[in-house]
Amino acid sequence: MIQLVFIAFALLSVVSALVVLLTNNVLYAAFSLLVTFLGMAGLYVIVGADFLGVAQILVYIGGILVLLIFGVMLTNQKGTKSQGRNDILTENTNRVIGLVVAAGMFGLLYFVFSKGHFAEVQASLFTDTPLKATTQTIGLQLMTDFVLPFEVSGVLLMAALLGAAYLSTKQK
Amino acid sequence: MNAIIALSLSGIASLFLGFSTNRKNLLITTLLFVLVALGLNLADWNHEYFWFNNMLKTDNLSINFSSVILLSTALVVAISRSFGDDEEHTHPAEYYAIMLFAAAGALMMVTYENMIMLFVGLEILSVSMYILTGSDKRNLRSNEAALKYFLMGAFATGILLFGVALVYGATGSFNIHGIGEVVSRTKKGMELFEGGVILYAGIILIFIGLLFKVSAAPFHFWTPDVYEGAPTIFTTFMSTVVKTAGVAAMYRLLSISFPAVYGLWGNPLVWITCLTLIVGNITAVYQQSFKRMLAYSSISHAGYLLITILAKTPNTNGSILFYSLAYSIATISAFAVLMIVSENKPKDGKPDESFEALNGLSVNNPFLAFVLTVSMLSLAGIPLTAGFFGKFFIFTDAFSNVSPLFKNILVVAILMSAVGVYYYFKPIIAVYMKKGEIAEIQLPLIYKITLIITTALTIILGIAPDLVKNMF
Repeated sequence: MIQLVFIAFALLSVVSALVVLLTNNVLYAAFSLLVTFLGMAGLYVIVGADFLGVAQILVYIGGILVLLIFGVMLTNQKGTKSQGRNDILTENTNRVIGLVVAAGMFGLLYFVFSKGHFAEVQASLFTDTPLKATTQTIGLQLMTDFVLPFEVSGVLLMAALLGAAYLSTKQK
Repeated sequence: MNAIIALSLSGIASLFLGFSTNRKNLLITTLLFVLVALGLNLADWNHEYFWFNNMLKTDNLSINFSSVILLSTALVVAISRSFGDDEEHTHPAEYYAIMLFAAAGALMMVTYENMIMLFVGLEILSVSMYILTGSDKRNLRSNEAALKYFLMGAFATGILLFGVALVYGATGSFNIHGIGEVVSRTKKGMELFEGGVILYAGIILIFIGLLFKVSAAPFHFWTPDVYEGAPTIFTTFMSTVVKTAGVAAMYRLLSISFPAVYGLWGNPLVWITCLTLIVGNITAVYQQSFKRMLAYSSISHAGYLLITILAKTPNTNGSILFYSLAYSIATISAFAVLMIVSENKPKDGKPDESFEALNGLSVNNPFLAFVLTVSMLSLAGIPLTAGFFGKFFIFTDAFSNVSPLFKNILVVAILMSAVGVYYYFKPIIAVYMKKGEIAEIQLPLIYKITLIITTALTIILGIAPDLVKNMF
């Protein structure tokens, strides 16, 4: 049963990711990216990372994708308006190089994961933890052991925010 | 650690100082902030601390690297006067704040103990650099450079993160000492160690991420365009601070976590080093633009720094630090002279950055010509400059390594530094022998002081390298 659900979510992610790659219409790509993220969120939940799954839905689907679609909506659209449509169309370029790089990466990862014996390695290094909700643990860890990375991410966001504000202001 | 806190806070403080209309105060305050951070950094000397649950670890090596980074930052801030001084660039407070944040990120990259801190530090530094690269908003080349750097850099960071995940899968730890422990415990019979493949792939992916940041050879394609497109002041920052931080992060990881599996990462790194040296030096010969030539030269210097990481002798700490310092100060004076001269000699409304722009500089500006000459000699590794001893220490390290592979690297490195002499002399010839008209350039006091410091340091370290080398 679990395997069926896994395969369903994995297929969902892969197929919608392929649509993102192959479609020429940016809006379609954005919407199918939404499905990809949803599939990923499902996969997270299956491996026991419930908080991550929910965060994925909240942040990526709720936040970033809406932003992306707004971006598509508000972008200056030219060219195709004469045909009564104002889609933003893109072209796929450098297909061969992209395919080679992707195939190389896939080959490397396939080799690693097939040879790696993940289950055995993990048995020797990690202790089994009972499957339970992870939110409390994550919250505690974030405020105790990992408080420095948590705080320092603030500096990162500050720099990014500053940059966004600067780059989008009008020149005097 | 205190320096990181100080830099983050002073970054925000300098944002508020943007309300003040006096640009000069802003520069002086930022300089002061960096110097305060430098002082706080040195205060930890000879104390080994673990901070915040093993997130960071300050030791003398990391303090030395931090000092090199903060010194470079201070020198870059000191020559940043002209940028943001005209009407078009009205936001100097933002640049200074972002530079301070970037320095804080760089410090995290050299003091990290947990891989998370490496990632966050790298991201802070990278994001700041993407912004600074594109800060000349009206210049199309600057925009192109920023976008290119951002897209490629985001991929490199993703790959690095993937590598971190794989290393965690293979060793069960994010802590670099913890990783080292697991790796050395399971080292015997690496073939039987099931995590071997995962670990190997993880190391390679982390390598790709970090080598991209230091612009080593197969991952260097962004370097010339980004260096050329970015405003010169930020190119200086990129080629000194980012490179030192990247090399230090890599050295820290390899010397603490993976010394036991030298065989795994040593061989690929040897090829990468040779390729970096050859590509950087040979391509630099063909450049018409001084700035682009310096970009390729920075690729080749990444190659020399990689040799020290590979050499793995007891002297490595000292050599790598000395080389970073010598390279940073020489690069800062070279870029400073380029910036001053090109801004005074616009061509088609933009600063002229070709070699011809330097023609005849020595006639009316003997000081600038001298500074440029010393820095070029140092980068080429001519005796009596710091660069010579930097290369000397690196080659000695490589020579004392018993592996026969190292003799090959040494041959490549020496041949390539001979090639380097050719293109580093091009600007010197332009300055002293070519005819050209450059009126006398009035240097602000702070430029003079900075250039005197970098040049004096280059010469002093070239005559008495032990002054600093023994400290490391």
